[in-house]
Amino acid sequence: MTELPGGPIATRPLHFIFIADCSGSMAGGKIQSLNQAVREALPHMQDVAKGNPNARVLVRVVRFASGAQWHVSQPTPVEEFSWTDLSADGSTDMGLALKLVTEALKTPPMSERALPPVLVLLSDGSPTDDFNSGLKDLMAQGWGKKAVRIAIAIGEDANLDVLQRFMGHPELRPLVAQTARDLVKFIRWASTAVLQSASAPASQARLNPNVNVPLPAPPAPSPTPPDANDVW
Amino acid sequence: MRVTDELPRGLTTVSGERVDVEQRLGAGGQGEVYRVRVGGQTRALKLYHAHMATASQRRDIERLVLKGPPTPHFLWPLQLVVAPSGPRFGYVMALREPRFHSSEDFMARRVVPGFRALITAGYELASAFLKLHASGLCYRDISFGNVFFDPRTGDVRICDNDNVDITGSGQGGVLGTPRFMAPEVVRGEAVPSSETDRYSLAVLLFYLLEGGHPLEGAREAGIRCLDLPAMNKLYGTEPLYIHDPADDSNRPVPGIHDNPLAFHPLYPEALRRLFLQSFSEGLRSPHRRVMESVWCRELPRARDALVYCAQCARQCFHDGESPGGALRCWSCGAPVRLPPRLRVGQRLILLNHDTRLYRDHLHEDQDFEEVVAEVSQKPGDPGRWGLRNLTTDKWTFTRPDGSIADVPPGASVPLKTGNVVHFGMARGEIRE
Repeated sequence: MTELPGGPIATRPLHFIFIADCSGSMAGGKIQSLNQAVREALPHMQDVAKGNPNARVLVRVVRFASGAQWHVSQPTPVEEFSWTDLSADGSTDMGLALKLVTEALKTPPMSERALPPVLVLLSDGSPTDDFNSGLKDLMAQGWGKKAVRIAIAIGEDANLDVLQRFMGHPELRPLVAQTARDLVKFIRWASTAVLQSASAPASQARLNPNVNVPLPAPPAPSPTPPDANDVW
Repeated sequence: MRVTDELPRGLTTVSGERVDVEQRLGAGGQGEVYRVRVGGQTRALKLYHAHMATASQRRDIERLVLKGPPTPHFLWPLQLVVAPSGPRFGYVMALREPRFHSSEDFMARRVVPGFRALITAGYELASAFLKLHASGLCYRDISFGNVFFDPRTGDVRICDNDNVDITGSGQGGVLGTPRFMAPEVVRGEAVPSSETDRYSLAVLLFYLLEGGHPLEGAREAGIRCLDLPAMNKLYGTEPLYIHDPADDSNRPVPGIHDNPLAFHPLYPEALRRLFLQSFSEGLRSPHRRVMESVWCRELPRARDALVYCAQCARQCFHDGESPGGALRCWSCGAPVRLPPRLRVGQRLILLNHDTRLYRDHLHEDQDFEEVVAEVSQKPGDPGRWGLRNLTTDKWTFTRPDGSIADVPPGASVPLKTGNVVHFGMARGEIRE
């Protein structure tokens, strides 16, 4: 029996898309670390979503290697989302991945009203296809332009210039994860703090007029890798 | 590998007491919160992230510890806690009991209180911030995230008190939470103060009572991507109250903003007027905002106006100001029969089977702790109801025929039209 009229407050969907590099160079330790890191971040992401009554968080996953496919194609409510392991093999068709995301961010299938989408690009290398054309398509889309775009470089071979251009942020740089523990930290940050800012920005100390979503400071990488085996 | 979940160790209070961290309870932009044991008691610890652990933040905490909480509703910094090495620090506070749920739980309807509990929560919030402001402090960041309440009783707890500052001194620190920040703060023209707190309080009360945001109507519905520039426009540069009588261009949109449409007509006119003042004049003129003391007067009056539907038992409001037309239940549509009423001065109190009178009803002193009377059935004659004297004083009452009778402690005045009760200084008249 409900004691009150009405129902939950009005929400807007927040589309959260992981764009994961599954090329051959990711095979082995890196892809396993990525799988593990997302799995670790997930409960925290669910907590953040639960604390934001204004947002309905929907998660999807794109994988790219030789070609790009939806790994999770349906926008899945974060509380129902579970991670299925990715495996790695092939080249680095990052441009195609962005084109796939661009299609998904057109209205329709995007709803008329939403919160800024969050795109998290995870990569360890350089695109082998036409990245520029993919990025151009994405930025030609209203939702692509409005999206919070975060790039996490896995290891030092990642093309930081490309990742920086993907982010297009006046202040933030790609986060470079040299170790599995940094990857955990960065993915958790992207899927909690960034998600929080895009859905219901937290208390603000100052407002930057140049960004459409104020982002909290990312975590610092570990100063010294604790274990040589943990370094890529 | 759960490196990020390691519990901090070796913490002590500044006076050297050991702080044993038992469990991580949550994390936010400023720091993490843990359940800890200190001095044989279970407490909560907020530990700042290294980059938030500034010298000025530390001075603020020390000052708040010294000052002490304005009311027990604030989960106030009790003691500064320091780390054995490194700059990190935090503070211990009382642990929130499990009966308190987050405002988010209510907004998502994971808990559903009745109107009585909602109004009580609103009153307690206004009263707590009244006392905070009276001690020269301002909260700076009134929002969902910082307010918890008991959906059964409406009792509230306010956390994150480390943002509290001396009114008017705030140059650094947080500006507030979007959707709750006063328009002049959103526009960058002002910093948080007790006046901007009063705006945020009105937004929070509106969220609690109408289940939506007072400025989110057609204008919000017309925005595709609700990002910071959109929010600045909606809440800062072009704000317009959804129920503004002079401008209907931002009305709630059916299908999106259903809650304010459903709730707004149910409340007593006096309460709707306070929201109107908050979000019309109060939107533009910070000094015209509704004072906490006014909320503290009107919210209990709205609670006094509650009546149960005999058909479905839902709580409805009887509006003494607009008596025309019979009250119908918002839930089942049945006509609602009013119980006997007690008029004390300007106040009209509906005497339901579970109504209690508090000291405030007789003395206007904001004391809702001391119960002075309750509605009760006559022993051996359950069809007859009375108002039982729960004080230690003797009351009297005058019958319509002029005869006078005593009401000693424990005795009851029959709920009969025309009976006038003399509660010491106050005088109340009963109407059936």
